[in-house]
Amino acid sequence: MKMLIGFEVHQQLSTGRKMYCDCPTNYQEVPPNTNICPICTGMPGSKPLPPNERAVDAAIEIALMLGCEIIADRIIYIQRKHYDYPDLPSGYQRTSLPIGLNGELQGVRIREVHLEEDPGQYDPTLGTVDFNRSGVPLVEIVTEPDMHSPEEARKFLRQLVRLLEYSGKVRPEAGGAMRTDTNISLEGGGRVEVKNINSVKGAYRAIKFEIMRQRAKLERGEAVTRETRAYLESQKITMPMRLKELEEDYRYIPDPDIFPLVIDQARIRRIKASMVEAPHLREQRLVKQYGIGPSVANVIASERELANLFEVVAREVDPKFVATWFRTKLKKILNYMKLRAEDVKFVPEQLIDLLKMIKSDEITPEQGELVLRELVKRPGDPHELLLQLGLVRVGRTELQAAVAEAIRTNPEVVKDYLAGKQEALHFLVGKVMQLTNMRADPREIIKLLRAELGREG
Amino acid sequence: MDEVTRGKLEAIRQGELSVVENVQRMLERIAKLNPKINAFIELNPDALAQAEAVERRLRRGEKVGKLAGLTVGVKSNINVLGLRATCASKTLEDYIATYDAEVIKRVRAAGGIIIGMTNMDEFACGSSGETSAFGATDNPAAPGHIPGGSSSGSAAAIAAGMCDLCLGSDTGGSIRNPASHCGVVGVKPTYGLVPRQGLIDLAMSLDQIGPFAPDVYGAALLLEVIAGFNPNECVMLDAKGVSYADELQTDLKGMRVGISPKFRELTDPKIMEVIDSAIKKLQDLGAEIVEVELPHLEKGLPAYYLIMSVEFFSATRKFDGRKYGKRIEDVCGDEVLRRILRGRHISRKEYRGKYYQRALQVRTIIREELMTALEKVDVIVGPTVPKLPHKMGEKISVSAMYAYDYLTIPANLAGICGGVVKAGEVDGIPVGLQVQGKVLGEEEVFRVLRSYEAVA
Ligand SMILES: [Zn+2]
Repeated sequence: MKMLIGFEVHQQLSTGRKMYCDCPTNYQEVPPNTNICPICTGMPGSKPLPPNERAVDAAIEIALMLGCEIIADRIIYIQRKHYDYPDLPSGYQRTSLPIGLNGELQGVRIREVHLEEDPGQYDPTLGTVDFNRSGVPLVEIVTEPDMHSPEEARKFLRQLVRLLEYSGKVRPEAGGAMRTDTNISLEGGGRVEVKNINSVKGAYRAIKFEIMRQRAKLERGEAVTRETRAYLESQKITMPMRLKELEEDYRYIPDPDIFPLVIDQARIRRIKASMVEAPHLREQRLVKQYGIGPSVANVIASERELANLFEVVAREVDPKFVATWFRTKLKKILNYMKLRAEDVKFVPEQLIDLLKMIKSDEITPEQGELVLRELVKRPGDPHELLLQLGLVRVGRTELQAAVAEAIRTNPEVVKDYLAGKQEALHFLVGKVMQLTNMRADPREIIKLLRAELGREG
Repeated sequence: MDEVTRGKLEAIRQGELSVVENVQRMLERIAKLNPKINAFIELNPDALAQAEAVERRLRRGEKVGKLAGLTVGVKSNINVLGLRATCASKTLEDYIATYDAEVIKRVRAAGGIIIGMTNMDEFACGSSGETSAFGATDNPAAPGHIPGGSSSGSAAAIAAGMCDLCLGSDTGGSIRNPASHCGVVGVKPTYGLVPRQGLIDLAMSLDQIGPFAPDVYGAALLLEVIAGFNPNECVMLDAKGVSYADELQTDLKGMRVGISPKFRELTDPKIMEVIDSAIKKLQDLGAEIVEVELPHLEKGLPAYYLIMSVEFFSATRKFDGRKYGKRIEDVCGDEVLRRILRGRHISRKEYRGKYYQRALQVRTIIREELMTALEKVDVIVGPTVPKLPHKMGEKISVSAMYAYDYLTIPANLAGICGGVVKAGEVDGIPVGLQVQGKVLGEEEVFRVLRSYEAVA
């Protein structure tokens, strides 16, 4: 069954100040109603300050990263969108007309990017409103309905989240900073909009539920009417919204208290000159520039700092070798330690030295991994770490002694080996590793064992 | 005519009149006259203490501002910290301002003493002063007649000598209309000259705060104190360090003064008689009288009522009963409700092209018409209000009420400035001469107002 899925994604911009006043934006870190002033609480007679330029710059940069055309040298009105809700101190929300149009992200067309402001936070149980969040700048990204399955939709959202994180211009996703509405229509049914989605996972579940619900209706021969529903996170279902909310006419008017935005070419040039490369484009470039595979490029480009680190290291060490180490070792260690690339404290030179040592067989890959783990935990010169870990390779004589000791103390195993059991050899290698405190190269041990036992494996 | 404000400032500076004495006398006069006139709806309990502070600084020879010792009444739609900013509505009857409007900060810094909050038409919606939830205001210059509106209390307070200066606001004539009916000086500044931060909205794209005074000098002085760029506000002109009071001239040599036949078409002939003789005096003072075309002038009225209603609807959404106790639609008067409902109706998606956008187009036409006319002349003069004020309590139709605004609305739609000085009287009722000037043409407007005042 054919289906069309689209998104409207809202994300808070990471400016220090609110959109139309000077209040700080760290609303989660302070007691309720402390980051407030007459402007963001809509006191009678208050007037907005000129729009926060950093927020405007951030929206332009995000629109550029999404491949949008920026509306340049033309008036962009900031409109009042009227609706009645306790969290909205003035009874309207300010929302700009599009700043960017006609972008594209991984085959999904981006219809527009514009600026909004967040309302306060209403607690229906207590009947209280906290205005700390009121006026925090938001960017809204609207897609065309270009996705055709829940999986595709989830993949797109993940890409979008990665792009927004890459930009460095949005607040970290924690605390429901990303909010999305999605629209879903199946062939032969009306378009259904689902609001109140707070995560990629939530979006995926909401879409799956909707498809199931709509498909069941269509199969029963019932009509799927155009409507707006709300996603209930706790029950993982969607519910029709109250009629009143649907009939709402926002009565948009340009806000008479704010000069419209005009973005000139010089501003766009300035932002372009220093803007972050979009992750999907970077991924493609990594493949081309370093000759690495698409899946490893995808892992490396998953975080901006990881990709930055890769590109610095790949200048000094064979990129393919580096890429393999990033995917199989570094990323694994970071995941295990629940760290992001931006949290690592070691300097690129230390990683370069380590990878060079491995590449030149100065140390074994096993030793290299132990040092890398240590490097992430406790940054330092890899040679020093090697010493501190007691990993300096054993000398030839010492190794031969260890091999002899392993053979002498395990006659049964030796017998098995000689009888043709390959696992026996692995057991002996393990013994030697133990005896040398992991300071020997297993490949070398095998060689020595075979020579000693006089049998080709 | 006597320059009351100049004289009062001189007396204070010379120590002939103490600031405390000035405030006390005003408070006594208010106590005596206000029960009948109802110009003030709240007094500042700290006025005397503030007077003492200014007095001390004066006696110590410290630097004091331009308004040092003068009492200033404030329209009830402007926030004054600790006083009620009710907009003369039940909606905000319990709302005590939590901050000073920018103009109030400037008045205080200049040594002015806020004496109290003046009565007004509810939410500035009216031209008669009768729609206040705190009762109508009488016209001290023509008792029993309406004082005009919406800054009814401010104009009446000046006319009755209850304070030295007043602040009002003008969206479609709300300063000039009551100034005309009460025979005082009132000025609507160029849109964007005076900060609106702290002014409770009627229609944001039209509202301007401006001065009332018994004389042109006082109005010029108060305007230069409150005017000028405020970086904490978006929609402002980049005007800094304006000065009007020291440069007031009393001749009009070389000035080109525009008149329009449109004014006569729309105005009561008895009023026009007074205006004609005023124009004659301007000519005698050296002005060159030039006829200008304003063919669409009267179309401003319907356009204004559409634009204002849409903006007012938007502005009043915050009065939803959650933060200020009362939902505006539940407690407001007929005219306020009429405007909210009209605004709600015509801002509907399906009507946008039909009403609001059309009104904005008319606004552009009128702005261009006035701008073109003001390229040919320095100022345009004429009547302020096309008819005489009705008797208090007399019922008039909505359209008759709106018709008071024909001649004042165009300046708001165009964003230009305009001032009013008493031209004369008809049957003992004051009639004001309106002088409209270019964008930031306040200096020329004051020059004409003062020149006329000097010979009237
Ligand atoms: Zn604020």
